[in-house]
Amino acid sequence: MLLEAPRFALPETLGEALAMRAERPEAVVVAGGTEVMPDLLWRNRTAAGFLSLRRVAALRGTTTDGGDLVIGAGTPVAALTTAPDGGLRAAASSLGTPLVRTEATIGGNVVSALPYRNLLPTLLASGATLELTSSTGTRVVPFAGFVTAPARSGLREGELLTAVRLPVHVGFADYAKVGRRNAQFVATASAAIVSRDGVARLAFGNAGPTPLRSDAVDAAATALLDGRARPEDLRAAVAAAVDPPEDAVASAAYRRHALGVLAVRLVTRAAVDAGLGS
Amino acid sequence: MSAVEDPRPEVAGGTDGPDGSVTFGLTVDGTAHQVTARWNESLLTVLRDRLGVRGPKTGCAHGRCGACAVRADLGDGAHVLCACLVPAATAAGGTVETIASIGGPDGELSDVQEAFLAEGAVQCGICTAGFVTAATELLETNPDPTRPEIESALYGNLCRCTGYGRIVAAVETAARARRGATR
Repeated sequence: MLLEAPRFALPETLGEALAMRAERPEAVVVAGGTEVMPDLLWRNRTAAGFLSLRRVAALRGTTTDGGDLVIGAGTPVAALTTAPDGGLRAAASSLGTPLVRTEATIGGNVVSALPYRNLLPTLLASGATLELTSSTGTRVVPFAGFVTAPARSGLREGELLTAVRLPVHVGFADYAKVGRRNAQFVATASAAIVSRDGVARLAFGNAGPTPLRSDAVDAAATALLDGRARPEDLRAAVAAAVDPPEDAVASAAYRRHALGVLAVRLVTRAAVDAGLGS
Repeated sequence: MSAVEDPRPEVAGGTDGPDGSVTFGLTVDGTAHQVTARWNESLLTVLRDRLGVRGPKTGCAHGRCGACAVRADLGDGAHVLCACLVPAATAAGGTVETIASIGGPDGELSDVQEAFLAEGAVQCGICTAGFVTAATELLETNPDPTRPEIESALYGNLCRCTGYGRIVAAVETAARARRGATR
């Protein structure tokens, strides 16, 4: 431990971090601080103390294991802007600012579990899995279903998200979002695509209380990709599948429309990438 | 500790009692400090209000404006970050370099600072330390940046006076001068 005060723990190893997690269940786990610190400033949340993972070097860095890219949960988003996956690259590059991306981590983005977080649609579209570790061991769960409600996840007491595993797809992957302005914006609505062997798979952010995908949307996207359907067919499939929030930023109707536009935009890019059209 | 005592109770640790404080070492601009701060204080608050280091400015306090940008090494390699987003005790044993480390010890300006003056890239000044910090970091890694590369590197710094044109010109001028000097 680099530091152990009654309300602040700064572990250096994963073992120390897990021991602290079990010992101090009331402490807020903080990595980069890019979400937690503004939340405390604006009193969006209260905290009884911090368990900072910022100095646990074992949580940082990316390796490959079989067909998976294994990304340590403490890896900063800045490191993902050059990832081999196009979807992850696009989502990371449009998150915050360069000064935020050096601190924000993939783990924080996932565990915050808010439907507008940049990386979530990409993880859902590409079939990512999560390594959840406690002092008794590690379990690997699909990212699909991990987020159960806004800001709620399947992380159990005593567990830390330690890595995100992303299957390395041969094919096309991308991410797009719209917001209220053209710089430093949080997604009003977002979408990610993975397309390979002529099959498209889409996932959406802020399209419902949790990251969302649907077989009907993927069927319509795949049909559009190979010219069996029109853009309006995909837009209709998206509109039927999503249940977007209504809030001060945008109406549900606006988001439903925007999600359809983003879906068609991403399928068009996939088609261009595959040499199927322009 | 060379701290300036902060009279505000919410900063001076009054609300949390003795259990809410945390004590750690921190090196700022080459000077080692022993800091006692509230557990949830930001690095920016510690720098400005406890150590009296006023180079980094408080702008938005949530990572959007870059006025508090400093170069810090928290054990994973020095890089520029927003001091407002870092829980201060996270930096225990780390080093921070503010704008004071970019200029000379007797107040002489760095080449980037001179270029900001020459190009009229400074108006009210609250953003300047952050811009110079980010621009200095850019030129360390990319001595010949294109205009889009400069704009992209400064994307996390906001200026409400200049309209950015003169700031980008200043970085181009500094880069040109630096390349000329090493040629």
